[in-house]
Amino acid sequence: MSPSVIGRSIRRADGEAKVRGDAIYAIDYSEQGLLHAKVLRSPVAAGRIIKLDTSKAEQMPGVWAVATAADAPGRSGWVVKDARLMAGECVSYVGEPVAAVAAQTIEQAAAALAAIDLEIEPENAVLDVEAALATGARLVHTDWQSFDVVFPGVREGNVAWEARLETGDVDAAFARADVTIVDDEFRVPRQHQAYIEPRAAVARFESGRYVVHSNTQFAFQARNTIADYLAVKPSDVRLVVTTIGGAFGGKVDAYLEPFCAILARKSGRAVRLVNTREEEFIAGNPRENAVVRIRSAVTADGEIVGRVAECLMDNGAFSGELPFCTAVSAQCLAGNYRVGAARVTTKLVYTNTVPTGAFRGVLGPYCAFALERHMDHIANELGVDRREFRLRNIMRDGDQTPTGQTVEHVPFLEAFERIDEVVPWSSVAERRPYHGVGLAAVAWTTAATPASVTLKLNEDGTVGVVTAGSEIGSGAIQLGVRQIVSEELRVPPEDVVLLPADTDAAAYDGGAMGSRSVHMIGAAVAPAAAELRRQIFETASALMEVSPADLELIDGHIAVLGAPDKRQPLAMIAQTALWTTGPIQGTGKYAAAPIPFNPGCVVGNLVPTLNSITFHVHLAEVDVHPDTGKVSVVRYVVAQEVGRAINPTAIEGQIQGGVLQGIGYALYEQLRMEDGACVDRHLETYRIPTAFEAPPIEIILLEHPDPKGPFGARGVGEPPILPVAAAIANAVSDAVGVPFDRLPITPFDVLAALRERDHASAEVAS
Amino acid sequence: MALELTVNGRRLEVDAPDTASLAFVLRENLKLTGTKIGCFEGRCGACTVLVDGHAVASCLYPVGLVSGAEVRTVEGLAAPGEPLSRLQQSFLDHGAVQCGICAPGILMALTAFLDANPRPTEKDIREALAGNLCRCTGYRKIIDAALGAVKNGSRV
Repeated sequence: MSPSVIGRSIRRADGEAKVRGDAIYAIDYSEQGLLHAKVLRSPVAAGRIIKLDTSKAEQMPGVWAVATAADAPGRSGWVVKDARLMAGECVSYVGEPVAAVAAQTIEQAAAALAAIDLEIEPENAVLDVEAALATGARLVHTDWQSFDVVFPGVREGNVAWEARLETGDVDAAFARADVTIVDDEFRVPRQHQAYIEPRAAVARFESGRYVVHSNTQFAFQARNTIADYLAVKPSDVRLVVTTIGGAFGGKVDAYLEPFCAILARKSGRAVRLVNTREEEFIAGNPRENAVVRIRSAVTADGEIVGRVAECLMDNGAFSGELPFCTAVSAQCLAGNYRVGAARVTTKLVYTNTVPTGAFRGVLGPYCAFALERHMDHIANELGVDRREFRLRNIMRDGDQTPTGQTVEHVPFLEAFERIDEVVPWSSVAERRPYHGVGLAAVAWTTAATPASVTLKLNEDGTVGVVTAGSEIGSGAIQLGVRQIVSEELRVPPEDVVLLPADTDAAAYDGGAMGSRSVHMIGAAVAPAAAELRRQIFETASALMEVSPADLELIDGHIAVLGAPDKRQPLAMIAQTALWTTGPIQGTGKYAAAPIPFNPGCVVGNLVPTLNSITFHVHLAEVDVHPDTGKVSVVRYVVAQEVGRAINPTAIEGQIQGGVLQGIGYALYEQLRMEDGACVDRHLETYRIPTAFEAPPIEIILLEHPDPKGPFGARGVGEPPILPVAAAIANAVSDAVGVPFDRLPITPFDVLAALRERDHASAEVAS
Repeated sequence: MALELTVNGRRLEVDAPDTASLAFVLRENLKLTGTKIGCFEGRCGACTVLVDGHAVASCLYPVGLVSGAEVRTVEGLAAPGEPLSRLQQSFLDHGAVQCGICAPGILMALTAFLDANPRPTEKDIREALAGNLCRCTGYRKIIDAALGAVKNGSRV
């Protein structure tokens, strides 16, 4: 019996192509007669288009097609259909597309853009969330009431979406005589996904359909968005996903694809569009900047009896996927630790800035930052040890989430203990100059969007896998799904052949997002594999004249139980089946069963429950340089619940990469906006961590299997980023003795805090 | 204008001005798309190739400067059908590849570095990676792969 492939760190199927330079990413993909496109973008944040004349551009050498708003009549959005592809009457942000050109060469396309006559009469732009919410603020969209919505929700003027949670009697909790009130405000900037491969797409128009190749994470969503903008049927679009060069949420929809589709139809040629790095920054969809306010009522013995939290998210000019995610704040700001009564209000607010969007963990990293800074603040206020305060209040077995979902098993305490075995709190919590330690804990979901898979037994005995789940780079498909199929059918992993995501070939799949691919697609593999086994056993039983009950799958063969030498290769079974029962194939599908919760406590919440919950505790130790203000992460420990580690090396990779992205968020990254325009337009000033910033990370995997997950697996990909800024901000605050309630914490901030602290203590001394 | 250059040991002719970006010529004229362009401004390192054994950001490197020189790209680390280089193999063994878009540039930068410094420390490796960004891996497994490739003092 061959050893199980589950839990083994096998090598990824697409690895060799990637190290040889053979893998075809979207920036590499080409077609016959390819044209090159460029997009003309608005230089102003808000205004009326008074002239848009493309006639000169259309006559320029090499130009095949020009597209404007009239070519894209529809609107898109996951929940609120507010987004247009190109500005028609007015522009709503700097960088908004106004026209697009396809030409023989990229230089000709650029020259044609320059020949477009565009005049915009500027209007007063609404540039930040607080201005947008002020009484009498100009509306970013005067026609907001006309937008179609997929789910009903609270929308009003500049509030694109509002989510509310209310549990218990909050006012009574705050009115109690025996409580201390602790109040905080936190601010975070935009963070760019900064994948190394820019967004890129190629489209052609063939037999009345659009055939699009791109590096989208979510093939079916991208297909639907293209169809929305072009006002055609979703099935008029075929989306094929290329190798993806990083995404992290930033490619969770279609962006450049619709331009290529329109230009391909108008020119009759294949059209490629690739973002420049500058376009990535000025017109990508970074994690939103946000303001979080938290107020807690706490008793002297550290019980949190009441909480009021408010979260203001900067939506930018259009909504995309964010209304779908808005209510995540409820779990993050009133969850993880026990809270008596809670009220959480989250507003997703329109501004005349580039639309923000999903980035690994969506709101999680800044909600965790806010909550965990607030927890330290409360502990310090009460004079309680910060770890002890957490252990007293952390969610336990059988507790409910803020929305009333009961969670039977909560391994938070175990995670804290396992971390303590690696870094005993007693050894690090004692104050040393310029050295600090921080803790953070987060519970997270495995996104429950539906999954499907078709398995086929090829005539050579290999197994073909057809799913529209795309390989984002994490290995979820190339390792996770491949290992699950291999284990289910007892074929070597090398004999599992994966088809790239293709909306024409596969049934619906909920996309490479929300840590879901291994868990959800893996769960769909089980029934598909069962069907395949049934057909294999049926064919083999007739061929080998043995009862199906006496057969087993082993090493790419079917063998008689107890007589391993009496066996047939699966190739023989597949070929036999062709002419007896027909080709062997099976399909599987999976949708997570609804989880009971208290619907009466939420409004506008599209993600009210946590599917296949995971638990995460991080510890950060930092040194702060007193002269330069530089923060060095000297030690980092992660305890992560994964259910079952299908491929431990791949999981480590997710943790090491996610933690470093979190360190970027905590210490270096901010996409600065000024007068509505993006200041950081290059990787020179938008600083993502380099090899120098990667700290030693110690990893503890907790494996409490989820019975619904494949071999027990839960989601893994997103959460390593969630607690990082929280743990580091707590550690820096501890090291300096001053609270850091904004991100990123730059050396300038540290030096300013040190000066302020020393100035204050000098005053006290005098 | 015809320009002669040697790429992975093969003498080739392309029609491009001297000032064209080497990365662009490799990808668009020669269809050697293994060399990636992540930023086209010399910051991400995905386009790193070797010119006479030295790692350069090919996106900013004028193709006119490579006439008479040996250009080596990721496709030249192992010829088609030939076994992977020790470093390429080590990347797979250590799980150093996720999305992989940075891998060609990092492999070239490390090949140049490890050829010249076969007994590096971890700190040396980090310095050798200074010009390359990776957003997926957190660099740990890349560093391990580099150290693993020269473990026995062998050439990469």
